[in-house]
Amino acid sequence: MTSLTCKIGPVEFKNPVFTASGTFGYGTDLPVFVDVSKLGAIVTKSITYETRVGNPPPRIVETPSGMLNSIGLANIGVKKFINNIIPLYNNINTKIIVNIAGSSNNEYIKVLKEIDAVSSDIVGYEINISCPNVEHGGMELGVDAKLSNKLITDLRKFTEKLLIVKLTPNITDITKIAIAVEDAGADAISAINTVIGMGIDINSRKPQIYKTYAGLSGPAIKPIALAMVHKISKVVSIPIIGIGGIVSGENVVEFLLAGATAVEIGTANFRNPNAGDVILNEINQYLKKNKIANYSELIGKLNLYE
Amino acid sequence: MIVEKAKIVSNNKIAKNIWKMVFKSENIADDYSGAGQFVSILVNDSWEHSIRRPMSIANVGDDNISIIYKVFGSVTHSLTQLESNDYIDVLGPIGNTFTVDYEQYTPILIGGGIGLSPILNLSKCLEQKGINATTIIGAKSSDEHFLWHNPNNNIFLSTDDGSFGIRGTVIDALNIVLEGIVNPKIYACGPEIMLLSLQKMLKEKSIPAQFSVESYMACGVGICQGCAIPKSQNEGYHLVCKDGPVFEANEVNFD
Repeated sequence: MTSLTCKIGPVEFKNPVFTASGTFGYGTDLPVFVDVSKLGAIVTKSITYETRVGNPPPRIVETPSGMLNSIGLANIGVKKFINNIIPLYNNINTKIIVNIAGSSNNEYIKVLKEIDAVSSDIVGYEINISCPNVEHGGMELGVDAKLSNKLITDLRKFTEKLLIVKLTPNITDITKIAIAVEDAGADAISAINTVIGMGIDINSRKPQIYKTYAGLSGPAIKPIALAMVHKISKVVSIPIIGIGGIVSGENVVEFLLAGATAVEIGTANFRNPNAGDVILNEINQYLKKNKIANYSELIGKLNLYE
Repeated sequence: MIVEKAKIVSNNKIAKNIWKMVFKSENIADDYSGAGQFVSILVNDSWEHSIRRPMSIANVGDDNISIIYKVFGSVTHSLTQLESNDYIDVLGPIGNTFTVDYEQYTPILIGGGIGLSPILNLSKCLEQKGINATTIIGAKSSDEHFLWHNPNNNIFLSTDDGSFGIRGTVIDALNIVLEGIVNPKIYACGPEIMLLSLQKMLKEKSIPAQFSVESYMACGVGICQGCAIPKSQNEGYHLVCKDGPVFEANEVNFD
């Protein structure tokens, strides 16, 4: 019997397969045929302080082996999340991690404090630092090591729960941010968020996405994600959660070898809402075939040429 | 709602660049509520085409589900290569249905381009209730039509080039048809440009309508928020997969 249990920060998960923010709603509104109890954890859609309606359409477009999205952090806001969604978590048999987004440090702190005050079923938070920050001219927090460190240092004071920081790949050197957030007290790092991209319709001569630039996800970005996870694994000792184009059990093994302790499945859920379950079965098959007793034996076991 | 691989019963061309596929799914047929609903399909297991495509249900009979699709890109072209006894990955049924209050209103159905699929479905459903609703089908030219212009049987075809039926758009046909009709309500599906023109004209004449709306879509189950369309008065967005695809015409902003 292979072991899939996985410890990140203070939390033990039944397996290392989580669903990525924005691809599984709040975990409470899946079709009946999806058995969420199979998953290690669900990471919720990003919660902001106010309700956000999102961007005008078109918001999504398919690309080869992937898709572009510019949803615009559409979410019900923290108050409705607390009143309408958190009570439902009583009946969900899987661990919930709340993703938090904000346009200023204060906003992140307010959201986290309000949720932390009421949550009993939530095991931790994933901090989305790929948001344009209004206090710094709209620059993404996640491209600046000092600002990222400050935010996480501030948030760390308000919770003892699992604190994961989700890094953006749209940056020159992701390792600097990784080190900065580890220093600030993050329990884990998740990487990567979507890659900035664009699509053009030559008939209308307009961008395919209303906001012009959008986030690329899916198998097309896996090579980028693997490189970033590997680079981060060389500079931090906290666990890494790998995200980016995972659609199979074999892909998960790639991320484990690169240094990830767990993974998040995103775009694959759109194609098949049961993707997490399918992938878990494939991981089990791989471990059995290779006579691996505990999945953690694979973590960071990549053999470089030099 | 179900996701499964359904066996294809038939897949044939019925007009220029227009095909009809029938597949068998007892589960989807059982869950189906009526005209307006759609399914979301994957043409194969390859990630070359990463996300599903929504397809309106044209008919459900026994356990057979029919879809009518227009061939214009590589995904729909790949669809034409599938044959009976092949399998197709289907998610559905998705969405709400047209609700026809035939006691209060005289229904007039309008289908433009590939939008005719749910309209033909609705027409058949009404026929089964003994209502022979006036149906207007629009296309660019006669080779895109696969029905006959038959005013005596309440079917009106329109073609932009006049090669068949009424010359002009569905709106030209509607103006002709509306004469003498009491308490009309329109049920329409078609390209956004058609719905926008229709919406304006119906607002001027104070005629109510339900529209079946299209959108790019990823998950099809109300989670990704990709299929948003603006609510009227710009107060946010509806999701086509979860709140639609059928809306009262005055609920949607097409501009």
